[in-house]
Amino acid sequence: MALPVLELRGIGKAFDGVPALKGIDLSVHEGELVALIGPSGSGKSTLLRCCNRLTEPDGGAVRFGGRPAPSGGRALAEARRRMGMVFQAFNLYPHLTALENAALAPRRAAGLSRKAAEQAAREALSRVGLADRADARPDALSGGQQQRVAIARALALRPRILLLDEPTSALDPELVGSVLDVIGSLKADGVAMLIATHEIAFAREAADRIVFLAEGRILESGPPEEVLDRPRSARLRSFLRRL
Amino acid sequence: MGIFFDPEVWGIAWPPIRSGILITLALALASIAAGTAAGFALSLARTLPVRRLAAAIVVYSDAFRAFPPLVLLVVLYFAAPFAGIELSGFAASFLALALVLAASAEEIFWAGLTSVRRGQWEAALSTGMSRAATLRRVILPQAVRLTIPPLTNRAIATGKNTALASVVAVPEVLNQAASIQAQTASPAPLLLAAVVYVALFLPLVRLGRWLEDRFPSP
Amino acid sequence: MASIFETFLNGEVMLESAGLLLRGLLVTLEVSVLVIPGGIAVGAALATAASVAPPWLDRALSWGVDLVRAFPPLVLLVLIVHGLPFLGLEPPPLLGVAIALTVNTAAYYGEILRAGIASIDRAQWEAARSTGLSTPGVLRFVILPQAVRNVLPDLAGNTLEAAKLTALASAVALPDLLRMARIAQGVHFNPSPLVLAAILYLLFLWPLAGVVRRIGGRTTLPV
Repeated sequence: MALPVLELRGIGKAFDGVPALKGIDLSVHEGELVALIGPSGSGKSTLLRCCNRLTEPDGGAVRFGGRPAPSGGRALAEARRRMGMVFQAFNLYPHLTALENAALAPRRAAGLSRKAAEQAAREALSRVGLADRADARPDALSGGQQQRVAIARALALRPRILLLDEPTSALDPELVGSVLDVIGSLKADGVAMLIATHEIAFAREAADRIVFLAEGRILESGPPEEVLDRPRSARLRSFLRRL
Repeated sequence: MGIFFDPEVWGIAWPPIRSGILITLALALASIAAGTAAGFALSLARTLPVRRLAAAIVVYSDAFRAFPPLVLLVVLYFAAPFAGIELSGFAASFLALALVLAASAEEIFWAGLTSVRRGQWEAALSTGMSRAATLRRVILPQAVRLTIPPLTNRAIATGKNTALASVVAVPEVLNQAASIQAQTASPAPLLLAAVVYVALFLPLVRLGRWLEDRFPSP
Repeated sequence: MASIFETFLNGEVMLESAGLLLRGLLVTLEVSVLVIPGGIAVGAALATAASVAPPWLDRALSWGVDLVRAFPPLVLLVLIVHGLPFLGLEPPPLLGVAIALTVNTAAYYGEILRAGIASIDRAQWEAARSTGLSTPGVLRFVILPQAVRNVLPDLAGNTLEAAKLTALASAVALPDLLRMARIAQGVHFNPSPLVLAAILYLLFLWPLAGVVRRIGGRTTLPV
């Protein structure tokens, strides 16, 4: 059995007294792709953001690489580097080229030399098939290309896990495929991933495990065929019917 | 530190500074009114399809925004008499402040006018309205929103620049404070003047900030 | 006509006062070179501090900035230059002037940069944090470059204001361009040095005003 990269124990979070997460237990192992599905507002985003503490959880524990994840300071910054995050709206830096986007953190957060940072960025860009667009600025790229650059930005840091927050939800339908292909190839390379998604067909094909989240709780979890084909809860059945 | 708050000197300084406040206010209101009106008129003149006029207005606006107001004031007050034009300190200050404000105000009004989209002009003109009616009924009401915050800030700047008049012996607040400072050899009158300026302008500065938040520029 | 030229553009007087004016111009440039970068640096420090400060400190900073902005620059200048000696501090005149004008202009630069930082989407902060950048790193490499670009017209406009402000130095007896022109005028009893000084100011500042106009926006009506 592969070792767990990321483990969540009893993660809870409320916003202005309204609970968003109610005691989440979840782990992602090396090389594993876990897909988080569930209706909008079910807490998928919050859960991902609690992993690298962009959102501070109210309670529970995050373990990363077998140790308690740091909650602040340099150690947290270091842990964030090792948990690459990909956002729904890409959030590329508009003033930097694709290469500069991917090279910034390797140079300024990981402290690599300019050359090494650029090398890491170039490698990451080729992995997402955009080596030839290295000098383009985000506004010159399609949405699909922008999201692939955002994936490269995370990959350039050689993360132990990628957290992907609905990476295709902001894309035109014809561009979704290119991004999912990249994610699929990362999976083949053995990159651990936790991905919030509405692409059920993709989840069925690529995920090792599917986790169904509703109203801040994990209602079901298991291999795709079990969760998608034999849903036990009425909540999941109605969610799948409505897709 | 206590010397700044010497109650005796504050007592001596207050009456002349109080009379200075009136002059500061009169100078501020007069130059703000005249400068804003002139700037508005210039921006309207610039909409006329007369190329030379528009170019001349741009030159005026650039030059007087580039020119330090104090230099303009000194030229008006100390150089103009050689041409036989004797201006009082108050008149020279009024003229300098109004000319400078007019240049900024023209630019602000113009920016407001040009910010209204072409479609608004076309829509109004297509309904048979004249250029003047379009400007007055359609464009100006939309442009005003954009002009209020920067115009407020320029007006405040003009009000604060009335302190420059102290250089040409206008007995406004700063000038009064400086002469009593010289008489009493105490910094207390200056501090009193500072308090007066803060009391006059801090509320306006807060108002300017509020307007900028309220009507953000696009 | 000849007499007007002789009075206001008297070549002989201008030539004789040129040396004096040149020395004054150098002082004016010295003041500018101290005040403009100083104001930008202090303003950037204020704006970045405000962007990461807790709300109460942010509010306090905004009141402090407004307090400075409520002062006529000349009043601040006179207060600092004539007030500091009473506190036992006697900075050289150039330094006193530079401090006063820097305080004034930093308040405006700070306010402009604060607006610039506020204009950047929170998502940019989060994306940068998610890659492990420290807060100073996020500000320096991700937020500030975009913020500066967003408020470039205002920054240019304030730089013009700061440059114009240097003329105030003459009011506290610093031998700058305007002061020297007044002295030369007194010596020759002729206004030509003043006119020459005015021309010099325009020579330096007009191009700056042109730049401000160019990056400030449109100058033609859409119809």
